[in-house]
Amino acid sequence: MSEKGIQDQGELVKLRSANDLRKTMDGYFARLKEAAETRSRKIAWCTSVGPAELLYSMGFEVYFPENHGAMLGAGKNADKYIPTAVAHGYSPDICSYLTSDIGAFLQNETPLQKSGFRSVPRPDILVYNTNQCREVEDWFSFYARHFNVPIVGIHTPLCISDLSPEIVKSVSDQYHRIIPELEKVAERMFDIDSFRETVGLSHDGCVLWKQVLEKARHIPSPINFFDSAIHMGPIVVMRGTSHAVEYYKILLAELEERIQNNISAVPVEHFRIYWEGMPLWYRLSSLAKLFAKLNTCIVASTYCNSWVFDDLSQAEPFESSALAYCKLFIVRSDAIKENVLEQLVKDFTVQGIIYHESKTCARNSNNRFGLQNRLFKRTGIPYLEINGDLNDPRCYSEEQSIIAIETFIDQLSGHLNNSTL
Amino acid sequence: MFRLGLDLGSSYTKGVLVDDNNRMTAFHCVKSGYNFNNAATKIITHFTENYEIGYPIYTCGYGREQVDVSFVSNSELIALSKAVYEIHKRSCSIIDIGGQDTKFIQVNALGQVEKFKMNRKCAAGTGSFLEEIAFRLDVTPEEFTEFAKEATREVKINSFCTVFAISEIIGMIKNGATLPNIVLGIYNSIILRSVELSLIEDHLVITGGLPAMHPTIVSLFKEKYPDTDSPEHSQFLAAYGCVLLNSEKTRTEAITT
Repeated sequence: MSEKGIQDQGELVKLRSANDLRKTMDGYFARLKEAAETRSRKIAWCTSVGPAELLYSMGFEVYFPENHGAMLGAGKNADKYIPTAVAHGYSPDICSYLTSDIGAFLQNETPLQKSGFRSVPRPDILVYNTNQCREVEDWFSFYARHFNVPIVGIHTPLCISDLSPEIVKSVSDQYHRIIPELEKVAERMFDIDSFRETVGLSHDGCVLWKQVLEKARHIPSPINFFDSAIHMGPIVVMRGTSHAVEYYKILLAELEERIQNNISAVPVEHFRIYWEGMPLWYRLSSLAKLFAKLNTCIVASTYCNSWVFDDLSQAEPFESSALAYCKLFIVRSDAIKENVLEQLVKDFTVQGIIYHESKTCARNSNNRFGLQNRLFKRTGIPYLEINGDLNDPRCYSEEQSIIAIETFIDQLSGHLNNSTL
Repeated sequence: MFRLGLDLGSSYTKGVLVDDNNRMTAFHCVKSGYNFNNAATKIITHFTENYEIGYPIYTCGYGREQVDVSFVSNSELIALSKAVYEIHKRSCSIIDIGGQDTKFIQVNALGQVEKFKMNRKCAAGTGSFLEEIAFRLDVTPEEFTEFAKEATREVKINSFCTVFAISEIIGMIKNGATLPNIVLGIYNSIILRSVELSLIEDHLVITGGLPAMHPTIVSLFKEKYPDTDSPEHSQFLAAYGCVLLNSEKTRTEAITT
């Protein structure tokens, strides 16, 4: 319920580390820009959960089109570009990262132009892993054809229940198989010690990122999903470098300080929610304000937890990379996903789950095969399903969703009031 | 002094006056149009001719915060559940078919919302779907109801989309299907879109503007789910629930202070 005249309490508490985040990300883009302009270092394009460590170990600057897609979404420009990709034969029902990214490219526009880039950095090679979806192969193939550069990929089995040694070996073998092509483009030999080093840095960055996310187990939580969706930038694009490690040390320290001083991410935390599915990039800020106004903190999410590859090990860089990237939530069967979610909602003391069914991202919409009902039966934790999309705002009905979210919080409020009687 | 509940919906704004004994006393409904405040003003003006209204008023719906008088806004789903529970005093499943939204709500034995679901971003299965088809066929809602009574067999409407449903209907007419049988098919397609929101395993209560204007829908629901009813003034229940929610709050506050 809201009353006229009462001031909005949706004031968000900003993280001080945001300044360091900006510097860290600026540094990343400056290195990319320099490599693109001077051709001093080779540029590899990589999928967001692709073999970034291998690429960094071989001296590539690594560019992530998914990060670019999220930038287009967050900049509220995706719907300007999607129709162009659709006109070129890409369905509006497939990944809207893909359609907005290709559409923007065809229109010769990119938010990177604000940072002085003429265009997205020209790739020397494109490297993907299908662990997240098949679209990435089609997406990268578009650019491979356009730039006439090599494309190599790792094909990971989907819906993995039993993560057997055979599966890990198959993926590990594929890591080995792409190396000769990488060497040719990089004009340098693969070096196992260098790979061990980047795998080690990636592990350390992931562990720190996990610790950051786990700070939200504290009541009240010092960080919410909307913060994490922004602050995950370094673990996505600088995984395997010291830049990510250094940044997460700063963020972690701030969160520890917040806990000591009892500072919460939302001004008043009455409800703790789990977010399942992709962010709605074009509504990140307004949703953050809405939940804050509803005294609700989104304390954990599948999305942000997906960049925790703490199985990476310097001792066995190939096998551990294969294991880590096959263990990823999105590659697992529903049975495994249910177990993971059940544990997360317990660990983070969650009172409700919101499933975002993203119209163009089937693989990141986990309410399509009845998981939400099964998990409800197991946990009794109420849930809400909202329909939208990661990047295409035309798939999202904002007013209807606001009503649904407000009602859901009222619903939780009713249950909590009763349980305390 | 009467308390006013207003449900400012996408198509219509519904107002109900509630007396000191929490009884619905007077009803008024106007088209929402593009200005919710105008719709609210029309209802307030209408009621103040004969009744004294207390403030704040209690609102819900898309326009719940777009009125110029003092108000307390509520979730329409919680308000509707409150009103239905007040009438039935038992657990039940509610299907509310409004102008733009179709909602499923499961209310538990304590009157709490156990779960709810709303239609996707699509008007098929809502009041707007029927309005558009009626407009294209040049048939009034009253005539729809009369046509349905004359139906001899259902003609299935397969289209998910309002626009394509009309093309499909035109094709059916061309192929000799009768309007009464088509109307029955349209009603049943709305029911199918509603019941896919969730399993119905409890007493079913049908509410909203569409069943109020098309009572045949309720009869058709009863054929599929015998344990079904639709309370009187079902279109006004969310507005009524707004008042009930707040009168309970006021009482609780009075006791605790």
